[in-house]
Amino acid sequence: MRRLFLKLVRRRRLNRDLESELAFHREMAAAQGNSIPLGNTAAIKEQAFDLWRFNWVENLWRDIAYAARALGRSPGLVLSALLSLGLGIGVNTAMFSIAVEFLLSEPSVTDARSVTYVRLGGNSHADPKVVEFLRQSNVFQDVAGENEETYLNWNDGRETHPVFAVEATKNYFTALGIPVARGRGWMAGDPSEVAVLSHQFWRKQFHGDPSILGRAMQLDGRAYTVIGILPEAHRTLIGYGFSPDVYVPRYLDDTPLAIYARRKPGMSVGEARAALRTLAGRLDGAFPQPYKYRASVKMTAIGGLARLGDVEEMMTAGLFFAVLLTVVGLVLLIACINVAGLLLARSSARRREIAIRLSLGASRGRLFQQLLAEGLVLSLAGTALGFALALGVARFLASVPLPIPMPFRLHIEPDWRVVAYAAILAILTTIASGLTPAWQSVKDSLTRDLHRARKLRLRRGLVVAQIAVSFVVLAAGALFLENLLHSAAISPGFDVRRTLRAEVHLPPARYADKRRIELYVEQALRQLEAIPGIEAAAAARIVPFTDNTQFNSGLTFTDNGEEREAAFHWNAVSPGFFRAMDIPILAGRAFHWYEATPAVMVNSAFVKRYLGARDPVGCRFLWGAGKAPYQIVGVVRGTKNLTIGEGDIPQLYQPFTQIEEDRPRLQFVLRSATPPAAQLAAVRQVLRRLEPAAGLEVATLFSSVGLAFLPSRIGAVLMGGIGLLGLLLAAIGLYGVLAYSVTGRTQEIGIRIAVGATGREISRMILLEAGRLLAVGSALGFAIALIVTRPLSLFLVPGLSPSDPLSFAAVIVVLAGAGLLASLGPARRAIAVDLMRCLRYE
Amino acid sequence: MAKSGEPALLQGTLDLLILHALQRGPLHGFAVAQTIHLLSDDVLTVEEGSLYPALYRLELDGAISARWGVSENNRKAKYYEITRRGRKLIARQQETWSRLSSAVDRVLAR
Repeated sequence: MRRLFLKLVRRRRLNRDLESELAFHREMAAAQGNSIPLGNTAAIKEQAFDLWRFNWVENLWRDIAYAARALGRSPGLVLSALLSLGLGIGVNTAMFSIAVEFLLSEPSVTDARSVTYVRLGGNSHADPKVVEFLRQSNVFQDVAGENEETYLNWNDGRETHPVFAVEATKNYFTALGIPVARGRGWMAGDPSEVAVLSHQFWRKQFHGDPSILGRAMQLDGRAYTVIGILPEAHRTLIGYGFSPDVYVPRYLDDTPLAIYARRKPGMSVGEARAALRTLAGRLDGAFPQPYKYRASVKMTAIGGLARLGDVEEMMTAGLFFAVLLTVVGLVLLIACINVAGLLLARSSARRREIAIRLSLGASRGRLFQQLLAEGLVLSLAGTALGFALALGVARFLASVPLPIPMPFRLHIEPDWRVVAYAAILAILTTIASGLTPAWQSVKDSLTRDLHRARKLRLRRGLVVAQIAVSFVVLAAGALFLENLLHSAAISPGFDVRRTLRAEVHLPPARYADKRRIELYVEQALRQLEAIPGIEAAAAARIVPFTDNTQFNSGLTFTDNGEEREAAFHWNAVSPGFFRAMDIPILAGRAFHWYEATPAVMVNSAFVKRYLGARDPVGCRFLWGAGKAPYQIVGVVRGTKNLTIGEGDIPQLYQPFTQIEEDRPRLQFVLRSATPPAAQLAAVRQVLRRLEPAAGLEVATLFSSVGLAFLPSRIGAVLMGGIGLLGLLLAAIGLYGVLAYSVTGRTQEIGIRIAVGATGREISRMILLEAGRLLAVGSALGFAIALIVTRPLSLFLVPGLSPSDPLSFAAVIVVLAGAGLLASLGPARRAIAVDLMRCLRYE
Repeated sequence: MAKSGEPALLQGTLDLLILHALQRGPLHGFAVAQTIHLLSDDVLTVEEGSLYPALYRLELDGAISARWGVSENNRKAKYYEITRRGRKLIARQQETWSRLSSAVDRVLAR
């Protein structure tokens, strides 16, 4: 304590005191003609001060100041190192921000963890009565409902625009605690004609005019009062950047609502589920109807890691981000190797300075610390630059509109996770790029005899590592670049922009008879097609990406009795399926509603794989338990079944009316002439009216399957860019390290020229050396890339394999080119080297 | 505390000598060195490189205190004075020292 106090109070005076004291001492000594020798003033001061200082903090600070000054003397090095690190860290942080936002963001509600999305009886949405029942049960703290995919017609005084709207319960804002930036959310006592606007809608349509609050706007022909504007960073309950324009209280009695329940404090998810099950039983009693709410009770977290576990589709996306982060991590590794190479080159140039400082009495530890400080300064500056860059990149990527018919806007901001990530990257970078040269320098000055061989070895190792890592990044980048070029071909094989999907769970008791299901379907299709704007409607057992059935079965062809084992995806569809999904019929015809004899349709992959030289249309085969042969009536283009990256898999369709099984779960697909979200309500209404007892889920096909191929599209753009960045960094690094390795051999080259080597021989020597390093690095990189890029296949367009020889060849060519360029300059410089200077070099 | 630089004498010994010299009254740095030099019959020479770090350390430990005064030749000089804590310390160190030196003597005598 006393020491600390003394240190704090006295340290300012220390320097002055000691100096005058020493001066006095010398004066006295001189006056007496004393033989007491004069020492090193600076060293005494250092030693005396060491006691009085908070040593490591002050040393660190001094080292940092010194490092900044020293680095300032080589702006070229600093610039290239900062660029390398900035780009590396920037891209990493940007990716991380996007990954975090997409996968882990929580909706803008208070305590999102206590809110769960509730599905009863297999319905994504439930009747408002159900929401009210759950709310009044007092089992939950509160229960709110929203219909998030509504469309309202907004008349701005001149024209009518469709706007994306959310209809919600009266307690929507209070129950969920949704923050409002201006004005307020609606409350229980408010009239129904109030509206809350999204920030973006407000800014775009009303130019951010705050006086809009309290004014009226025409929505669906009714006058709504604008009472609030959401914050810019508002995240909806659905997440994924979904951002509708307008929020209004529910005004139709039967608007189905997605249920969101907030658990009471202390209530576990398990307890909530049990309570919900009991409630569902009471619901079945209170609202008697043919199907049971009890049959299926699901609770899903609405955000963060918990949702990641609850929702299956998220796993593909998660894997995608894992691959993405790995690749950008490799880019950062290249950046670090670049910086290490540069610092190493510098440290060798400073060998003399270090030797002098060591002989002046600097301790090795201090020197080490100080060299490390240089790495720290560089990496901190690089991180700062990268962070700024990341913000820019993330903002830019977020502002690029996605080519989808839904309002999506990822709100990306640097949250603490991103900041932590950047900080960790900075520390890792320091260790990676600061330690090697620091260790090398100190080691060097100790074992001067050994240094040349070892330094060359380390340098070569660096070059090889850099080439290997570059190879991997380039291979991934090249794959994704190729993917980007093919991105127009990234298609699931059917249309998702103007299609809707409805899933119906018919009450099994009433639909035990297969004939009844058929009648229902027939009726439903007629009524659905009658909706204005619906161009085609069809029933299907399976909608790709949401479900699948695979068969492994023997086919016996009736023409020559040939038997073949076949594996294919199966589906049963009504005639309009191919029109509704926009799947072209390549030969033959579509099904009729009733086919007289067993009929099938197959895709072209099926034809190619199993039919041999037969004419597909009219071809007959026996299959499964059926005694009568099936006849192919048409051939269609294939679709993807489960992942966007899968190849052409044989598919077989049966007419809906000819299948044996009679599961009461079926799906409808519809094709709309207008944006499909606008038809959701009408479709729901038709299906609800036709069978009020059915569990019902209606969504745009995009929102059902879009998640499966969104990563591919975004990925193609991102990874293509990252590949280019990796190439740039790798070329810079390769150039730097090769150039440096030539510079390091100046003396040797000088001697060689002095004893008669020609310029041609010198450049051949240098190119051969570079070639050897390139070969070793590429071989290493090739082996790693073969393994690392394997999981990428999930995201590649069909026909592109991760071990695509073309992209690997391209990588080798590019690397060789970069290597050649990188060594040409140094080679030329080596030949033109000034003989005298380089012989005098050391 | 000091990280590097070995004093000419064993570290504890120098502290002991300084404290002993200061027992006679306040002295400035040069006088401390001179006193030790003279008392040792010109055998021991305390270099300033060891002296000042030791003085600063002792001051920090609270064994001595320092104040600015005027020297015999009318110059401003920093005078060091032993504290109560320093006197306790010297008693302990003296005992340690005599045990050590007599032990060394005994070893060498046999």
